[in-house]
Amino acid sequence: MTSVDEQETQTQLASAASSEVIIEFDKVNKWYGDFHVLKDIDLVVHKGERIVVCGPSGSGKSTLIRCVNRLEEHQQGTIVVDNMTLDKNLKNIDHIRSEVGMVFQSFNLFPHLTIIENLTLGPIWVRKIPKVEAREAAMKYLARVKIPEQANKYPGQLSGGQQQRVAIARSLCMNPKIMLFDEPTSALDPEMIKEVLDVMVELADTGMTMIVVSHEMGFAKTVADRVMFMDEGEIVEQNEPHEFFNHPQHDRTKLFLSQILHQ
Amino acid sequence: MAAVVKSERTAARSAPLSETTVLGWLRKNLFSSWINALLTIVSIYIIYAAVKGFYVWGVADAVWVAKDRRECFDISIDGACWAGVIQWMNNFIYGRYPRGELWRVNLGALMLVLWMAPLWVPRVKDKILIGMSTVFLYPFLAGYFFAGGEKGIFMQVMVTLGIVFLVGNTLNVIIGVSSGRGLREVMIQKLGKQDASDESQRNTILAIFVGALVVVFVLQMWWTFEAVSWTKWGGMFLTLVISGIGIAAALPLGIFLALGRRSKLPVIRVLCTAFIEIFRSVPLITVLFMATTMFPLFMPEGVPLNKLTQVIIAVCLFSGCYMAETVRAGLQAIPNGQYEAAHTIGLGYWGTMGLIVMPQALKHMIPNIVGSFIGLLKDTTLVSIIGLFDVLGMLRSVSQDIPWRGLHKEPLLFGAMLFFIVCFAMSKYSRHLEVKLSAGDNR
Repeated sequence: MTSVDEQETQTQLASAASSEVIIEFDKVNKWYGDFHVLKDIDLVVHKGERIVVCGPSGSGKSTLIRCVNRLEEHQQGTIVVDNMTLDKNLKNIDHIRSEVGMVFQSFNLFPHLTIIENLTLGPIWVRKIPKVEAREAAMKYLARVKIPEQANKYPGQLSGGQQQRVAIARSLCMNPKIMLFDEPTSALDPEMIKEVLDVMVELADTGMTMIVVSHEMGFAKTVADRVMFMDEGEIVEQNEPHEFFNHPQHDRTKLFLSQILHQ
Repeated sequence: MAAVVKSERTAARSAPLSETTVLGWLRKNLFSSWINALLTIVSIYIIYAAVKGFYVWGVADAVWVAKDRRECFDISIDGACWAGVIQWMNNFIYGRYPRGELWRVNLGALMLVLWMAPLWVPRVKDKILIGMSTVFLYPFLAGYFFAGGEKGIFMQVMVTLGIVFLVGNTLNVIIGVSSGRGLREVMIQKLGKQDASDESQRNTILAIFVGALVVVFVLQMWWTFEAVSWTKWGGMFLTLVISGIGIAAALPLGIFLALGRRSKLPVIRVLCTAFIEIFRSVPLITVLFMATTMFPLFMPEGVPLNKLTQVIIAVCLFSGCYMAETVRAGLQAIPNGQYEAAHTIGLGYWGTMGLIVMPQALKHMIPNIVGSFIGLLKDTTLVSIIGLFDVLGMLRSVSQDIPWRGLHKEPLLFGAMLFFIVCFAMSKYSRHLEVKLSAGDNR
């Protein structure tokens, strides 16, 4: 499976350069009915960057990353992902979705398929890769998330932490350029959080572009290039992690940090 | 506070006798208090009286062999006269189908068994192909067996395809059961082509398939059945034809209507919703009357449309609309996260529906689907009102037959038992399917 290795080294090189813009939000606005969720969001993400987004619930952080692969539609402004503008053009959306992997809070594995079938579904039906090759690649990713022995079980037979690792592997099987994580550890029992975070740290080490909505501050400190704090639909503050946690500037950031660090 | 620590392990003991013995069970469930004991005894007496009355009338005093109803009375005035039911048995099953041609109906039924049985054999391959051909080819082949007459070019093609598939299917099963391999594999091996490229293998199979088609097509040109008018079809045979086609059409039609009703495109959504609601708010018997009187007005001149076809179309549309609501309910049980996950791995609308949503939704729907199949099978008896002699029509005409004049109870009771057996088997099977399909996931 040289292709995967090649891709890894390529992304590593790119991350070293890190000048190429892969996601760009320009004055993006979004409403749910009358509720203004995203207000004039400007955001530039470079290839290989790791961003952790935090903020109180309802601040629009999930909506922000769900706009990247158009699970949510924005109403004003432009979003460019991998040099493609997200608009009504369905072809662009399909293309971007196959380049952007996403991991959900509630795993969303397909319960009627075995683990290996969950992993190979996208490669076989979307990428049109022959079955045998898809299985080989899938097994490689399962080994990477450290559960190759579960390949023929059904999702319901796995623990939450294992399911979330399968979900990560499922996204990786599509060879995405960007990975989005929507509170990946929030639905997990405390003893399973670490196994998922470990996999994410390893993934970050390969140079993958990652946007992670999470309150795992330990993860943010070790992995992130940038931490973003959102509140009421705005990006209130962003900084590199050390500065962000030790010298927060905005009052709302200070309040939020004091709340989550002292709970 | 000092720690409280358990010092010894508690050994497991056996359950109290009331949980394990028959006597304990009786006591707990039937005689737990004096009022329950009284109710139990009264209920047992009522059941005894009813069963005894029925047994004496229907079995002990019944007449099984007689040449007419008068003879029945002569033998036993209080007993059931099953002799009439037995003598009319062929009428109940085949209606007035010519007696010399009954083997065609039987062969048609046998073909269905041959065709579909492989679906339940675990070692057989290519089940999707078998299922599809059952829905799209079997009806034409069987239809020709039942109706006979001159074949048009379309019918010739369908009959040819049907025969080739039936033969291939049967061979596939025999090979599958005996060796666990597919027909394709074995053919490739016999021709010594197992090392050839995929494309060359595919071409070989295609060549064999086309060759078989040509041979069968030429053969079937010399072979015609005597035509049997649909007016001669009847009995259980007719009931099964109508409800079978209704059932086969209901699921695909229902799936498309349900998807249409949930579509984001307003025109499709409104059309599907209107169609479903109109058919669902009208009784089947009205739809049947409408079909037989109104379809001919819509149809262009010269389209041959007999009453049976009209009835079948009406039943298909009606059952499709009911199925659409069942499917819609099943679709709503699938959480949004499944759609989102499917989208994020790049699946489009049809991929998401076909690979992720439908397989899960159908599993939830099985009890309701079988429920509506059972309902449809029973509703089909309404066609006897608009003058088709289905099984109910035949059961009721016994009493107009001169030797059996006035024989109402026994044929209808027989019919009830017949329906009970078929419907109960279906519902048992659906229960079995549910258990089997949910074994895979313990969510």
